[in-house]
Amino acid sequence: MKSMGRTIFHLSAVFLASALPVFAQAPALQAPATVTAGQSFAIRGSGRGTFYLVGPSHVLKQNVDARQEIAIAGPDVSTSGSYQAILCSSDGCINTTFQVLPAAPNRLSFLLHPSRVPVNTPNAVNGTAIVSDRFHNTVIAPAKVDFRLSLAGEDISSRSVQSVRGIGWFEIGSRPKQGALQVTAALNDTTEPRVIQQVASEACGLRMSATPGPHAVTLQTEPIRDCAGNPLPDGTIVSFTKTDAAGKSTVDTPIKKDKATAKFEVSGPAHISVACGEALGNEISFAGRP
Amino acid sequence: MKLLSKTLTAVMLSATGVAILVARCGDLSVLAASLPKVVLSAEGLAPRTIEQRTGEVVTHDYAQAWQDLAGALDANRADLLGDYITGEAKTRLTQRISDQKKTGLRTLLVDNGHQVKAVFYSPDGGEMQLEDRVQLGIKITDGEKTIYSADVTQKYLVLMTPGADRWYLRSLESVPDKAF
Repeated sequence: MKSMGRTIFHLSAVFLASALPVFAQAPALQAPATVTAGQSFAIRGSGRGTFYLVGPSHVLKQNVDARQEIAIAGPDVSTSGSYQAILCSSDGCINTTFQVLPAAPNRLSFLLHPSRVPVNTPNAVNGTAIVSDRFHNTVIAPAKVDFRLSLAGEDISSRSVQSVRGIGWFEIGSRPKQGALQVTAALNDTTEPRVIQQVASEACGLRMSATPGPHAVTLQTEPIRDCAGNPLPDGTIVSFTKTDAAGKSTVDTPIKKDKATAKFEVSGPAHISVACGEALGNEISFAGRP
Repeated sequence: MKLLSKTLTAVMLSATGVAILVARCGDLSVLAASLPKVVLSAEGLAPRTIEQRTGEVVTHDYAQAWQDLAGALDANRADLLGDYITGEAKTRLTQRISDQKKTGLRTLLVDNGHQVKAVFYSPDGGEMQLEDRVQLGIKITDGEKTIYSADVTQKYLVLMTPGADRWYLRSLESVPDKAF
């Protein structure tokens, strides 16, 4: 009885030993559930045939004898996303799926809006930064993004935000003083500077004076500034409008060296007004020929 | 200005009836014979709210982009990507198609519909981020041989940006199940 049991044990061992190589040759693929973008790794496989790696931006096809590991080079998995590893042999195809996750954040795409903005305007400046790794994969995990704002002659101010799904953003009002507002988005050592031109806002306290001449009256504004004292840029259009018995006539003239000038012939009673953008200035009345 | 709200009426997108947008319970949906079904939800979208017309266009153009990418991956033709796909999404898909051509592979996508949630719309209206949960049938062939076939639910993080007359798919990244 005892020897019969020993014989059965030996037969089982022999059978298993002979069967094992057969099982070992059956195709199989085993990949890590997640891999970091750009990092090489290995897929454990067994079997011989054609190996495919199909990712969002890359396809790899090679013959393998996968009794050992299939080495996957970092550049083959630089794009984050879902990958299929497929091994086809004469018995058919097997596959496994794994996810490539973004590498460490080290890039910023920074969009700042607008390029020119009037001073002292609430919520007029906004910026959006998209956080990605060195392979341009959006980094979904929260990352700290700093937005630094500086205007010549003023202290630098900054605002820190945590990115959400790879996006950090801010919105602020423009400063009271005109000039180049530099806004820099920063992520660790990566910085992306942008510049917004802050320009004078609407004219404030617009006034003109008249100088009568032999045939016409010359009108000239005082230096045109916004309510914060910033001079409106040269080229800004100022409209002078004369109203008399003949009706209305308007002269549009650009600001030159902070002032705008115009000439009107006046042959009877007339009113002349001045406007710049939404700002209305004073009116001057004439009783007749100057 | 009409904002995308919970009470939207049915809107015909084009006179030819190529696609019909149907509003239901705060969602915009593209139903068409030729376009994949896309249901867009914009509830809680921030920091900018979305206007109804913008929602309609984004919904349509995203569906169109998916139709284009499916056609391009099946035919191995990168030239089909140009109308609604740009930027990194186009670069990656073009590379994938180039690799497919070299290796003799093709990918057939059966698009069974998208549940899309708009999650970020920048203050200036220059970028919109979407989360998409899509049901896909995927078949990969090498010549005549099918090497992979599966029905999957895949999640994508999407970035859309506006152009002169349409919204472009700029970034399309598949993300893990637990991502959202």
